[in-house]
Amino acid sequence: MPDLFKLVLQIAVILAVCRGVGSIFRRIGQPRVVGEMFAGILLGPSLLGWMAPGVSAYLFPSVSLGFLNALSQIGVVVFMFLVGLGINPKELKKHGHAAVLTSHVSITAPFVLAAFLSLYLYPRLSDDSVTFTSFALFMGAAMSITAFPVLARILAERDLLGSRLGTVAIACAAVDDVTGWCILAYIVVLIRSAHNPTSIWLTIGGIVAFAVIMIYGVRRMLRRYETIYRERGQLSENLMALMLLLVLTSALCTEWLGIHLLFGSFLMGAIMPKEQKFVRYIVDRFETITVTMLLPLFFAFTGLRTNIGLVKGQEMWIYCGLIILVATVGKLGGSTLASWLSGMPAREAAGLGTLMNTRGLMELVILNIGLDIKVISPALFSMMVLMALFTTFMTTPVLELICPDRLLREGPTRVAAKESTVPTLAAQSVDRIPA
Amino acid sequence: MSHTNRNFIIAYALLVVLPIVGLVGVLKKGRTLTAPISVDGTWQLHADPVRLSSLPCGKTLAQNPETAIAISQSGRNFTLTFASGPKSTASGVLDGTTLKASLVPAISWSAEAGCGAGRKLDMVATVDPNMDPRSLSGMLSVDDCPSCGSVGFRAVRLAPATKRRLR
Repeated sequence: MPDLFKLVLQIAVILAVCRGVGSIFRRIGQPRVVGEMFAGILLGPSLLGWMAPGVSAYLFPSVSLGFLNALSQIGVVVFMFLVGLGINPKELKKHGHAAVLTSHVSITAPFVLAAFLSLYLYPRLSDDSVTFTSFALFMGAAMSITAFPVLARILAERDLLGSRLGTVAIACAAVDDVTGWCILAYIVVLIRSAHNPTSIWLTIGGIVAFAVIMIYGVRRMLRRYETIYRERGQLSENLMALMLLLVLTSALCTEWLGIHLLFGSFLMGAIMPKEQKFVRYIVDRFETITVTMLLPLFFAFTGLRTNIGLVKGQEMWIYCGLIILVATVGKLGGSTLASWLSGMPAREAAGLGTLMNTRGLMELVILNIGLDIKVISPALFSMMVLMALFTTFMTTPVLELICPDRLLREGPTRVAAKESTVPTLAAQSVDRIPA
Repeated sequence: MSHTNRNFIIAYALLVVLPIVGLVGVLKKGRTLTAPISVDGTWQLHADPVRLSSLPCGKTLAQNPETAIAISQSGRNFTLTFASGPKSTASGVLDGTTLKASLVPAISWSAEAGCGAGRKLDMVATVDPNMDPRSLSGMLSVDDCPSCGSVGFRAVRLAPATKRRLR
């Protein structure tokens, strides 16, 4: 049985610290989510555990963390559903060569650079229970991810959702996330099958069959939701409960198939109807409790697993610096080059590269999976969390520096706002959207 | 084929296809690399309680000679904590199959008679990589006290950490 007093106390402390630090970050022009990620680290062994170990041990005893983790994972399951909901496949088809080239390069460049870096890091930060292939593929997937929701949020804050930069960035980020999650699913299957008597092909076959059923079967049934919403202007509580049940069932199926809960919830979101008002309605129903309560718990749990003390000595900080450098050069550099070659003006291309370099919460989700399946070590996890923080933090100031709003608004690249069916998540209350 | 399409194909081949070919090469090359031996996980400690209690700072350990120790590994570096028994964390380095760790007893532990603040316990052990489950054997001694002698111990890994969340 959980110690309820301790659990409620933990939630209260986490919410207070996350809201406080988030507000401070808002004041310095950063998305709130960056502050909340930072707050999580402050509550962990990197600061609280180091400065006041007694307080830390009282507040977050290791026996209590299982309950905190369970709550935070429920939040991430719902969050991944919302991320999937925000992805509109029609949006991807609109931008032709520029989006195709940019999105594919923004995956391959960081992925391949991360694999090269793995040649150096694997003998230093891994162990022989992890194969090089799993290590390198995981590093590649973790470095090529883009925080689709925070990107949408930054664009919304700067009124750039209708611009060419905005629409191409959204399309590319969506491709990146879908690809990144597919690669991650493969890695999880690869690692789990090494310790599981079930054949890897049987697992992959099961996953493919599940995806086909979801895309060609369940998706058609889900259209009824949109029809009912159009007719009545709302959904009954029973229908909302059924939707949540479907999300959880899908999550359980993917967990049972040997990948992870989150893939199922993401897929369920991705196959939901995409009519803008309908999506907004669904997001409004799920978002508040997820973003204001459950996700801060995830940040805190991640922070409790992040120990910057493990990154000690010059050598370890060099590794950390290399990770940040490779992640930035691969993502920012690759996207910039590809979009510039596709005909985008240099500044705008650099702006797109900067946006694509945002990793935010999506990165933390992936890293936690990596640490759970032990494909990355605790020290590498801490370095990658620092990289996620750094690349997310740098987005807003660098974007303002190289691609000021006025240039984008004055330029000939703006498309009619009504043409854009951009992410519904971004069109929401800007302050609440997570990364 | 239009000029734009040709340029797109060239750019795609150079920026996407070529790196993927490179990735295959990197994965092939990486298979020849060796990473440090895995010691991550929970280990069951076995030591003689009588000999342990004769060691300065050893009485606390002797009260729980079959304690489990949790090793969290990051490449060659690792941290070691007692899953039960004394509260203390040690950090160490792995050199081939040899583990070296230095353990600073927590305040309550160092208060035991004959221990004293600032005293450290040194642990040197060798992992047997051919055993399944892996085992290690080594010596526990007190830093800066050659006359105190050392106590031998053995430990067996309870479960490889990679299987922790697997069904």
